[in-house]
Amino acid sequence: MSTDIARMRNIGISAHIDSGKTTLTERVLFYCKKIHRIHEVKGKDGVGATMDSMDLERERGITIASATTNVEWADHSVNIIDTPGHVDFTIEVERSLRVLDSAVLVLCSVGGVQSQTITVDRQLRRYNVPFIAFVNKLDRVGANPFKVRDQIADKLGHNAVLMQVPIGLESALEGVVDLVTMKALYFDGPEGEAVRVGPVPAELAAEAAKRREELLDAASMFSDELMEAVLEGGPTEDLVRAAVRKGTIARKLVPVFLGSAYRNKGIQPLLDAVVHYLPNPAEVENRAVDLDHGGAERVLQADRAAKTVALAFKLEDGPYGQLTYIRIYQGGLRKGDELVNTRSGQKIKVGRLVRMHADTMAEIAEAEAGDIVALFGVECASGDTFCAPGLNLAMTAIYVPEPVISLAIEPVDKNASDRVAKALNRFTKEDPTFRTHVDPESSQTIIQGMGELHLDVYIERMKREYRAEVKTGMPQVAYREAISQAVEFDYTHKKQTGGSGQYARIIGRLEPLAKGGYEFSNEVRGGRIPREFIPSCEKGFRAALKKGQLIGFPVIGVRVVVNDGQHHPVDSSDIAFQTAAQGAFRQTYMKAKPQILEPVMKVSVEGPSEFAGNVFATISQRRGVIVSSVEDGQFSRVDAEVPLGEMFGYSTVLRSLTQGKAEFTMEFLKYGRVPPHIAELLTEQHLESERKKSQR
Amino acid sequence: MTITVKEELIKRSPLRVLERSISGGLGKGNVGVLASRKGVGKTACLVHIAADKLLQDQHVIHVSYASRVDHIVTWYEDIFKEIAKKPKMRAALDEVDELIRRRVIMNFKQDGARTEQVLRSLEAMIVHGNFRAETVIVDGLDFAQAGPTDLRKFKDFAGRLGLELWFSASLKRDDPLFDERGIPYELEGHLDAIDVLISLQHHGDHVHFNLVKDHDRLAPKDLRLKLDPTTLLIAKDVRARAL
Repeated sequence: MSTDIARMRNIGISAHIDSGKTTLTERVLFYCKKIHRIHEVKGKDGVGATMDSMDLERERGITIASATTNVEWADHSVNIIDTPGHVDFTIEVERSLRVLDSAVLVLCSVGGVQSQTITVDRQLRRYNVPFIAFVNKLDRVGANPFKVRDQIADKLGHNAVLMQVPIGLESALEGVVDLVTMKALYFDGPEGEAVRVGPVPAELAAEAAKRREELLDAASMFSDELMEAVLEGGPTEDLVRAAVRKGTIARKLVPVFLGSAYRNKGIQPLLDAVVHYLPNPAEVENRAVDLDHGGAERVLQADRAAKTVALAFKLEDGPYGQLTYIRIYQGGLRKGDELVNTRSGQKIKVGRLVRMHADTMAEIAEAEAGDIVALFGVECASGDTFCAPGLNLAMTAIYVPEPVISLAIEPVDKNASDRVAKALNRFTKEDPTFRTHVDPESSQTIIQGMGELHLDVYIERMKREYRAEVKTGMPQVAYREAISQAVEFDYTHKKQTGGSGQYARIIGRLEPLAKGGYEFSNEVRGGRIPREFIPSCEKGFRAALKKGQLIGFPVIGVRVVVNDGQHHPVDSSDIAFQTAAQGAFRQTYMKAKPQILEPVMKVSVEGPSEFAGNVFATISQRRGVIVSSVEDGQFSRVDAEVPLGEMFGYSTVLRSLTQGKAEFTMEFLKYGRVPPHIAELLTEQHLESERKKSQR
Repeated sequence: MTITVKEELIKRSPLRVLERSISGGLGKGNVGVLASRKGVGKTACLVHIAADKLLQDQHVIHVSYASRVDHIVTWYEDIFKEIAKKPKMRAALDEVDELIRRRVIMNFKQDGARTEQVLRSLEAMIVHGNFRAETVIVDGLDFAQAGPTDLRKFKDFAGRLGLELWFSASLKRDDPLFDERGIPYELEGHLDAIDVLISLQHHGDHVHFNLVKDHDRLAPKDLRLKLDPTTLLIAKDVRARAL
């Protein structure tokens, strides 16, 4: 195993659904000799692609959880994370991006830049991840890699430059011309394993020369040396590669590669590109927060000699116990090392250390900065940071969105009940956007997540992996309540029942907070409320916000200002002020004209233009607002904002309306006001259930 | 309170000047065209016209033939920000979100989009999408490439669905651009399908609006409007009035 950090790469493969990402990964594993046969996604051989380690993924032909795997190519060690494409699982994508140094963005040569590509691109931008693009499916009818390059430039705003031109397209696809070496590459043998180098075909000479010029123009922006060499007429291959590499790592250039994973064409040059153009771990700056020094940022050194810092980014319960995937940012790991979990303060000892390959693994003795490995038998949550004793650093938290949908589940029998609990325990540890709790009123188990499909997948997994069958209720939207105008309050809490009494008075106001959330502002002068009780007021309001009086959902977008009050030298206490705050809130809330808010999703529907009318109709029927529609020849995309509550079952409707030719993605956009007639309905339903509860 | 501010804003809009000059407005079933060389400010004017309709609680479809539409989205945002800068309008800012919900952008790539297809999609949006548009902005139609009957098809469509259609026309030929009546040579073949034709021209440091055709009348007339170079909004031209 190579230990030189310059020969290490941590890459993600990100793409739109069905761009052929898993098929591509399969080829990579094959050419790197990690597997000895290629299996297709939804393949007839019934084995399924190697990276889809879960049955469910095999059956549905999609990749859900990111499995990491290590391969060797051209004397480099490459860790690959196969990331899921569906928006419902973007937490997985985001988590892998945080951990990776660079990515390969896969695009379909027919579909080009699609809605999910835009989402992934935004994530790459957020984490400042350099990437190269791979235009896949060149064998498909209508393939147009030049159009896709233009779209990467126009729609995503990247300086995209072709590194290859195709030799033939669609069924005539033979190979590619490499514009750096100006050689034709063909992929011979039953599985394209033999790369044959030949001269550029005469009919492509002019096109290749033109594209090479574009490439040299773009690359020389990053190297004066190259620019001079170009003017003198003879840049070396190394000079061109160095310049492209510089531009790519700075995220100022996106080299575009071509091929067809399914037809086994163009994969080996892509692997070469990973080695040539993507950064090694030492070339990427990573930061951590120093908990001992007031959260000051510290740049980590990808240096073996430094003290160890590592991030647990994924947990998996496998047949051999809990597996924790970690990325080492600084120092190294060796069997028997002692580490501290900076969140819990717990000490752990490094036991078995393994390197992962889809669902098989190889035991290793040590690993060093930059590497991604897995540990056995470590108790922790995903997102925890491990440090060498003496350091107290936390890798900046990975952004976790709040769940927008919930579902009541009930085990079918007593036996299933234990297994459900076990399954939920594991899922919530693995996936921070998947949450669960028991509703204190109905004593039902509630699961929460990012969308219908997200929850569906977990229910399926419970059944398959834990033999735990559950009945499910109707999906419930996570509503919120918010006030719409400022109101003043003046509330006294007094209780005299022998012994020490309780006394607290607070005066102030509630104000709407446009940006959402909760803010507390203390404007009390002259100790009218003693300083030690201010946090009690804050806590009391916070507790009151958990349940609004309209429909019993959490209240967001409130600023509480406390500016006066009274206390009693004996009877005032922490609990008295908490109770007063809750009372003040309850008394004032309805006067602040509260409203019900619902999650509004950003929905993107893509498909043939002939169905655009049908799509418009479905959006309009669902209280949706069409933001824009784009028609590009036969292909069209509709972007809309639709309340989540109206989107249940949409995939079935869309499938039957468009003969399965259109697909949609959605993600949470914002909380929006519920229209009055629906708000009334929700309020009535809430009152009804409250009445029933009190009768009981 | 906000209602009256809004009404005031509508009443004082320089677009009322335009409406008065063209017999009370473009009118349903009619086609208006803003013509100029590239880069003079046609899109800005169209967005201003659309924003004015949105303020009046109308629905607007903005058809664009550009390769990307994010700049149009930003344009609308900017124009409402500009409006919200006016005193007292801040309170109505909350409504901007609502206003923008009454606008749909439909983007067609020029080479793939035939007029029949564009009209089919527009009709689908209005009828199936239940989007009750009153005004349609058509920005970037290539008049040179479009056949002489294309604008006529748009006009028939506007008549059938009771829409006001505002187009931009980019003039590309060498000088002179206009004939002695002020009509752009490139639009002469389309003239009978155009109800209101306005040309935009640089006059020194400001852009000047010339009404070339007003429904049945063909008489050039200075509209006494200009394009404010900083806000890119249509404004009353004080200098013209002083003359």
